[in-house]
Amino acid sequence: MALLEMVPTEESGAPQGASEDYLSVEGVRKVYNPGTRRAVEAVAPTTCTIKSGEFVSLLGPSGCGKSTLLMMAGGLEPITEGAITVGGKAMTGPRQDVGIMFQDPTLLPWKSAIENVLFPYRVFNRPMDEARVRAEALLDQVGLNGFYDHKPGQLSGGMRQRVAICRALIYDADLLLMDEPFSALDAITRDEMNTVLVQMWESYHKTALFVTHSIREAVFLSDRVLVMSSRPGRIIEDITIPFPRPRTMEIGETVEFNEICGYLRSRIEHQGLPGVSGH
Amino acid sequence: MTDAALGFRTGSRAAITRLADIGIGPGTLRAVLLPTLFAAGILGLWEFLVWFFDYPRVILPAPSLVWTALIDQFDLIWFHTVPTMRDSIAGFFVAVVLGVGCAAAISINRYVRDSLYPLLVTIQLVPKVAWTPLFIVWAGIGWESRLSIATFIGFFPILIAMVTGLQSTDKSLVRLCKALTASSWQTFWMVRLPASVPYFFSGCKIAITLAVIGVIVGEFISSSEGLGFLILLGASNYETDLILASITVLCLMGLAFYGLVQAAEYLTQRRMSR
Repeated sequence: MALLEMVPTEESGAPQGASEDYLSVEGVRKVYNPGTRRAVEAVAPTTCTIKSGEFVSLLGPSGCGKSTLLMMAGGLEPITEGAITVGGKAMTGPRQDVGIMFQDPTLLPWKSAIENVLFPYRVFNRPMDEARVRAEALLDQVGLNGFYDHKPGQLSGGMRQRVAICRALIYDADLLLMDEPFSALDAITRDEMNTVLVQMWESYHKTALFVTHSIREAVFLSDRVLVMSSRPGRIIEDITIPFPRPRTMEIGETVEFNEICGYLRSRIEHQGLPGVSGH
Repeated sequence: MTDAALGFRTGSRAAITRLADIGIGPGTLRAVLLPTLFAAGILGLWEFLVWFFDYPRVILPAPSLVWTALIDQFDLIWFHTVPTMRDSIAGFFVAVVLGVGCAAAISINRYVRDSLYPLLVTIQLVPKVAWTPLFIVWAGIGWESRLSIATFIGFFPILIAMVTGLQSTDKSLVRLCKALTASSWQTFWMVRLPASVPYFFSGCKIAITLAVIGVIVGEFISSSEGLGFLILLGASNYETDLILASITVLCLMGLAFYGLVQAAEYLTQRRMSR
């Protein structure tokens, strides 16, 4: 509760209203080594939008180009064709209002948990005093109170990824991009992390794009799920997940949840051939 | 008899337990005791053989004679130890500053790297001791030339280690910096430099050893002070015991330098990992 008061949500300068497109991808295509014999089309021309405050998952088989699309949205990969706009400005490189979480926690091994959370503040040269209070609150919220001064080597894989969540949230990026952040964790820890992420996100109301190849993870976390076909990736399905928030793990046992998962699985299996699936 | 045996056993076990309490386990005992005993054995054998065959002391003095020379002429030896120590340490520190500086420039700027690094690797391939007379021509026979030689020889291992360390920084950490819009200077200072600390110390350990070699070679060629000079002086007067005593001091000096670097490494790593 205290955290909710500290963290500005609607007033933070994020675009108002849930109907506005916050992230828009227009005809974006990615070709690696263009113009050479080794040219590979990773992402076929793709168009999609994400509204402000929405949590959208990009679901697809391994190597379908979903991570490439995410990296282009984060300004870490050059765009071959088309344009990506975030908050009204075209993405040309990394920005401080766009946060990224990678597959690995990528923590500095010589810095304590809290110092790792504060790392973006150090890079941005923002004042540290209020940030420290904030970092402690975030670590408490993901259940790491008492581990502030532990080094990454002294933490478990799940704990490290929790530190990485806090690091991605501390600087109030309006758009949070997550590239399969839990794929290296075991199933139990992964469920735990999904619960933590849902709670954190529900108290922040940022806009999020989450890349995963786990159907259940995508359905549990998201307001919308976009399904990508295998390489070259294109979006072949866009469905809205109707479950109200706040969500708990229990929704995973409902019939509706499993029906959505089954439908998504069939769409991935019959990828790119809309007439065949029978839905 | 059984009681006595038992008593002895419990006694020795208690002793071992007490040693274990202060961090000396059976492993440490073996690691310290065995080499010490072996060295003492060699010295004893040497002493015995010299006495037994009545070997001329000019060719090979007994360890006891070397010890006597060390004690009797300690003032002279110490007088010549100070400049050797001073020039080695100074040369080492200049080498550290230049080596880290050059490695930083090479890793930050691509043009510096492409133009400078191949050249430095080529120079590194030449036996650096061969350059020593040149430094004496350039810097004279004073401490300046010895310091330059020590710097020149110690510079390369630090440079190579640091370039390797700075370039082998975890790619995902570098990508994180990029995502956070860190400048290349920030990435260098906050990530690349701390990540290359282990490489830095392995470079330092080689550099400090080589710096002493550089100073001694410089003193051999042209000098009126230093342990290298004293060894040459001893050789010209057939004072073999003085030569060996000087070498003993040189050994202790090298060990002390290495130990200091090791201690600095230990303290830094403990600070960084706890």
